Amino acid sequence: MAITLDLMPTEISTPDSSSAGELVRVDRDKESAAERTKRFERDALQYMNQLYAAAMRYTKNPEDAQDLVQDTYIKAYNSFHQFEPGTNLKAWLYRVLTTTFINTYRKDQRRPQTSDSELEDWQIAEASSHTSDQGKSTEDVVLENLPDSDIKNALAEIPEEFRMAVYLADVEGFSYKEIAEIVGVPAGTVMSRLHRGRKQLREKLTDYARERGYVKGGAK
Amino acid sequence: MSQIPCDNCRQSLVLFIDNEIDDSATFNEIAFHLQECDECRNQLETERRALNLIRTLLSRSCCETAPSTLQERIAHQLHELQLQELAGYTQTEIITQYRRTEITIDGETQIEIETSHEIRRDFPF
Repeated sequence: MAITLDLMPTEISTPDSSSAGELVRVDRDKESAAERTKRFERDALQYMNQLYAAAMRYTKNPEDAQDLVQDTYIKAYNSFHQFEPGTNLKAWLYRVLTTTFINTYRKDQRRPQTSDSELEDWQIAEASSHTSDQGKSTEDVVLENLPDSDIKNALAEIPEEFRMAVYLADVEGFSYKEIAEIVGVPAGTVMSRLHRGRKQLREKLTDYARERGYVKGGAK
Repeated sequence: MSQIPCDNCRQSLVLFIDNEIDDSATFNEIAFHLQECDECRNQLETERRALNLIRTLLSRSCCETAPSTLQERIAHQLHELQLQELAGYTQTEIITQYRRTEITIDGETQIEIETSHEIRRDFPF
């Protein structure tokens, strides 16, 4: 099995179900540069907070996150004529963000990649049953009491590929297929990253709860 | 409709919760099984609760607002780009493209081949 990861942005063809505000047909050939700029400012800038929060997860610090979002908007602006109106703009911007991060910010820190062998069904079942064994309601209450900083730290501690998948699925609500296009890997890989990521996150959160003395016994 | 075994249902629960089962026959089989089987339905609820908790916690804590300085920087930058566009300037962006090929031979050993090359793009096109 050979998987080739092509990290260049291409058009994301998923129909836009999230924003109903783009029902107006845009004829990109007749549109002037000024009109396109206006359309960019109207449609794309509204995602700045979301992109910034995502960039914080990717880069883990406010300075790099700001640079990344700025670079993303510049790239998106310069390529906006390639974006097909009526398709999912949010997913397209996330793709630009993710590609920019992978190509620019991660270039110098080539660390060993997480093994991406796809999970078999039984492994997913095992991984998920592991998650749910701990899903007792008393523990849910315990985890709900964790401060936001612990939750951010727990997410920051899981491997980058897993973190992206979990964030894109469970915060942004993207489908496996959309995440596959944003990150540039097959949907099966997204699925395995997501399941592992959720499991590891859950374990980290439980560790934090234990450290804070919310959970009795079994100290780490 | 014939019943699928509990094992098959359990294996697909996460996909079912994520709404990622595209095949309608498979979806119906699982939905039917869940209707009939209390144990699997309990398992579904447990899984769903665990996942909802993760989603709630993440959404609650990962919601930073872009600093106003960033908003200003971007507005300024877009303005600059527009002026350059009007003046007919072009700028060149150099992109380094990485390709990673993963080859699995026996399901265990993994070989990764990484190549990179540069692309130059002029703006505006």
